[in-house]
Amino acid sequence: MTEIDKFIPTKNITLFRSCLVSAEYPGVESSTKYVFDKLGVEYVIDRNQSCCTGLGHYYDIFDELSTAALAARNFHYAIKNDHKQYVPMCATCYAILKSSAKLLNEKDEVREKVNKAFRENGLEEFQYDKGDIDVKNDITHVVDVLYYLRDKIPEHKKRDISNLIIATHHGCHYCKVHYDDTLCGYRNPEIIDKICEVMDAPALKWYDHKPRHCGGGFRQRYANRELSLDATEDKFLSLHKENVDVLLVMCPNCQLQFDRYQQVLEDRTGDKHYFAILNIAQLVALYMGADPYKVLGIQTHTVNVEPLLEKLGIDYNPEEDTLHVRK
Amino acid sequence: MSENNRIGVFLCHCGGNISDYVDLDKVEEKLADNECVCSIKHHENLCSLEGRNIIKDQILRKDLDRVVISACSKITHGATFQKYIKPLNPYLFEMPNVREQCSWVTNNKEDATRKALSLVNSAIESVKYNESLKKIPTKVKNSVLVVGAGISGITAANSLAKQGMEVTLIEKRPAVGGAMIQVGKVFTPDKMSEDCAACLLNPVIHEMVHNEHITLLTNTVLEKSTRNSGNFDVILRKKPDFVDPEKCTSCGKCTQVCPSYAPDEWNEGLNDRKSIYKPFPQAVPSTYTLDSDSCIKCGACLNVCPTNAINLDAIDELIALTVGSVVIASGHQRFDTTKRPEYGHAFYEDVLSQMQLARLMGVNGPTHGHLTVPSTGKIPKRVVMIQCVGSRDQMPDGHKYCSKVCCMVALKNANLIRSHYPDTEIIICYTDIRTPGVYEKYYKYVQDNGIKLIRGRPGEIAREDGHMVVRIEDTLTRTKQEISTDLVVLSAALESSEGTMDAAKTLGVPLTEDNFVKEKHPKMQPVSTDIEGIFVCGTAQGPKDITDSIIQANTAATKISELVNGGLEVEPFIADINVKRCILCGKCIENCRYQALSLNNNSIRVGPIACTGCGDCIITCPKEAISILGQSDEKLEASIKGVLKDKSDDEQIIIAFLDDIGNVSANNMGINRVECPSSIRIINVPFVNRVKYRHIKYALTHGADGVFLGEYPDGPKHNEIRENVKVMKKHLEDDGINPERLLIHSVFIPYFRGLANQFKEFDEELKILDN
Repeated sequence: MTEIDKFIPTKNITLFRSCLVSAEYPGVESSTKYVFDKLGVEYVIDRNQSCCTGLGHYYDIFDELSTAALAARNFHYAIKNDHKQYVPMCATCYAILKSSAKLLNEKDEVREKVNKAFRENGLEEFQYDKGDIDVKNDITHVVDVLYYLRDKIPEHKKRDISNLIIATHHGCHYCKVHYDDTLCGYRNPEIIDKICEVMDAPALKWYDHKPRHCGGGFRQRYANRELSLDATEDKFLSLHKENVDVLLVMCPNCQLQFDRYQQVLEDRTGDKHYFAILNIAQLVALYMGADPYKVLGIQTHTVNVEPLLEKLGIDYNPEEDTLHVRK
Repeated sequence: MSENNRIGVFLCHCGGNISDYVDLDKVEEKLADNECVCSIKHHENLCSLEGRNIIKDQILRKDLDRVVISACSKITHGATFQKYIKPLNPYLFEMPNVREQCSWVTNNKEDATRKALSLVNSAIESVKYNESLKKIPTKVKNSVLVVGAGISGITAANSLAKQGMEVTLIEKRPAVGGAMIQVGKVFTPDKMSEDCAACLLNPVIHEMVHNEHITLLTNTVLEKSTRNSGNFDVILRKKPDFVDPEKCTSCGKCTQVCPSYAPDEWNEGLNDRKSIYKPFPQAVPSTYTLDSDSCIKCGACLNVCPTNAINLDAIDELIALTVGSVVIASGHQRFDTTKRPEYGHAFYEDVLSQMQLARLMGVNGPTHGHLTVPSTGKIPKRVVMIQCVGSRDQMPDGHKYCSKVCCMVALKNANLIRSHYPDTEIIICYTDIRTPGVYEKYYKYVQDNGIKLIRGRPGEIAREDGHMVVRIEDTLTRTKQEISTDLVVLSAALESSEGTMDAAKTLGVPLTEDNFVKEKHPKMQPVSTDIEGIFVCGTAQGPKDITDSIIQANTAATKISELVNGGLEVEPFIADINVKRCILCGKCIENCRYQALSLNNNSIRVGPIACTGCGDCIITCPKEAISILGQSDEKLEASIKGVLKDKSDDEQIIIAFLDDIGNVSANNMGINRVECPSSIRIINVPFVNRVKYRHIKYALTHGADGVFLGEYPDGPKHNEIRENVKVMKKHLEDDGINPERLLIHSVFIPYFRGLANQFKEFDEELKILDN
């Protein structure tokens, strides 16, 4: 077992919303809340929260300074609400928030610039003081919390998912930006695998290209489409070889790359094999008996999740999917 | 200190070096008022033979009992004047440094004169507390424990035994020889050939076995060590002798009938061995051994042993020894390649480590020297080697250092394959090729033999359609490549072995940030450790090749010989315990980083060789029972008193307590004629923690405007010292003294200009300080 050397909160949490989760897979948020409620995790959603800038940052639209300023503003609200523990659902939010807090704590010049901007615009309340946020202990990913509470997960078991062939894909921005804060490895990342284990649904120990990234690469997806898809393709074909039923992710950007582009990749490679793409929180929610449409939000997925439900023998009413156009 | 001292003061002109800048007549005039001063003499060069006669003459004529020689630094002529004051005891003199720390750094003659007088006064007050001392003759026991019987340990043991030492050589494994015996082939760069390692090592091993001054204990580890008046009381744990070495004839019948197996360590787990076995055919000792972890205690071996040598109920043995010195030669281990899952060493049988490849190529290996692909049994058509697996790695679970030998190891094994299997292609994927010195010639030679090199670190290894695929970016051509190959060989980093870390922990020797044994000084004292009497050699100290290991092992042996045979006399400035006050709480023993103190027959004993006289124990003692001989608190206070004696109202005085490094740095200031504020009065202390709060308070309440502490920050007590200063600043505040008047700063020998600037800044700050 990995020794946990960072603080993992179960209360005073601000569940940090993600623009990709909200816009693309809102079921990830409802599943996370569903699971947190079952596990007795105390959290709030903050309506004042802004985007972390991650997408914009990696498109070179937002510079570090604006990113740090927005983070300082968000941190202010979290502290004011007495819910200082930031728990993002997205690996990029996780990394960006940590990097920003690090910058604000360590670079006096940046902090002063940001605070000056606040002062000059009548936003004194947003002032960030050195050490307001502890980089290591005040920002944790949802999977960290699930991993920490994993022994309690089976207490809420409603469905058997043990017959699935599962592959896991870990977010680079969780694993490889703040190495020292990553639990369960980053060369062979296993934190999602460990959560699967407690649900009696062990994931593949290894598959070719396992530690590779999804290929999304933010602007690469649009600016260097071929390069981006080349990278995705390697992993995609490897998953075909392993005959997986479901690929588990922990970041909406990875989810988007494998789910929205599955058809494109099939056309590109001529290789077809069905597998669903779920966020780990969605699978845990399903295991705990959550409704596939109302909680998991599978109607927002491009790759239908219904065949997976059938394999698991879970009843569902396709009429509840009001988004897809059915023939 | 006697009531009425008879002190003689001698003022050296140093051929104008002092007298051109300091008005020595004025100094003499002032000193004449001091009733303890019975004689004052000038001379052009006191260090001359004429100077000696003057000093001697005055001592005899005026019946002097103490001497102050105002001249250069003690480092320059301390030893000279120690002889010149004969018939006085050589410790009954002081040398105020009026040259480097006064005349050479002060431009204004009036200021220099005032400062010189103050330094001489300080020496006069201080010398009153000097005691007659003798150098301490010491004797180090001529027995040595060597931990680890690889090439380093065996070499050290042989050398020590030949120099008359009694050596106990212990080895954790059942056979000696370490990594060198396992590696099969070594190469000599000059000869451009690969030689048989065992053939080179065996004569060395035999020398060790046949030397009656060496006791070899295999299957043995160091369990405990306590320092006892300069010696080490050690306890060794020897695994049970399930097979009695006296009775075993190495017939091998037991192995034939043994039904249980375990991975063969000798062959790096490439095959299995029995639970009762001989580690390898040429193993020394040559007797059989039993691995109790895998043994099922069925008793089959008992029935076939012709000499009844086997006892399955044997128990381990504890051996107590007292030795004078210890050599840590416990070597390295190789980086755990499972930490690089992308290279698949744990799950692909055709991925090997360099050591496994060496075993496969070894005539006494699992395939009797035939290189075959494990999954197919065929000779490989292509072999890809990957360098820097776990070395030169900035990630948290890698080693940041270069393992130094892996480039040579890969080239050697590549050339070996090349010469035996000319049709096999070999590619080495490298980060940089590092083949310093003559190794570069071997590198070129191997390259000329057709070995291919790609600059880049493979990202991952996969298995596709029955063969391995290495994915790499060639960073010279900036192209992505997928290399199909039969065999992949990983050059895993050398890292500190568990045995090395255990030995260091047991002996109380500090480790480096990379967990190797830390030398006393990485450049100047590469085999000594912080603990006097404990030495290190070979890869326990850091990655290195066989030649370097041998050089270091011989050096360690020489250093021990110096201690044992050199008739060592050490300076008498060591800790002294007042037995009446001492309550034997043991705090000083725990605190001493040199392990100089030990509890012996209900008293604390001080090891004169180990003790450096730093005085750190003084502040840990709750009963104030410790002092340093010739360095009492009173003496330090007297130095301060002397400095402040003739202070005029308009004068600012800063007392700078500098440790030895700081003092040398201050001397360099003088040698380089860097100006230093005349307010600075340097008092050299062996260790900054030696300065107590009482001294600082005394200085600041008796006329000093500031106290400067100069500390060499690379010591293990650095944080403690800094904390201590914070506490003292708090005390100053409580006593109504501005804590800004106390300053601690780091000192380094070459940064004398920085030190001068610090002095200047502090001098300026104090001028505008309110209270």
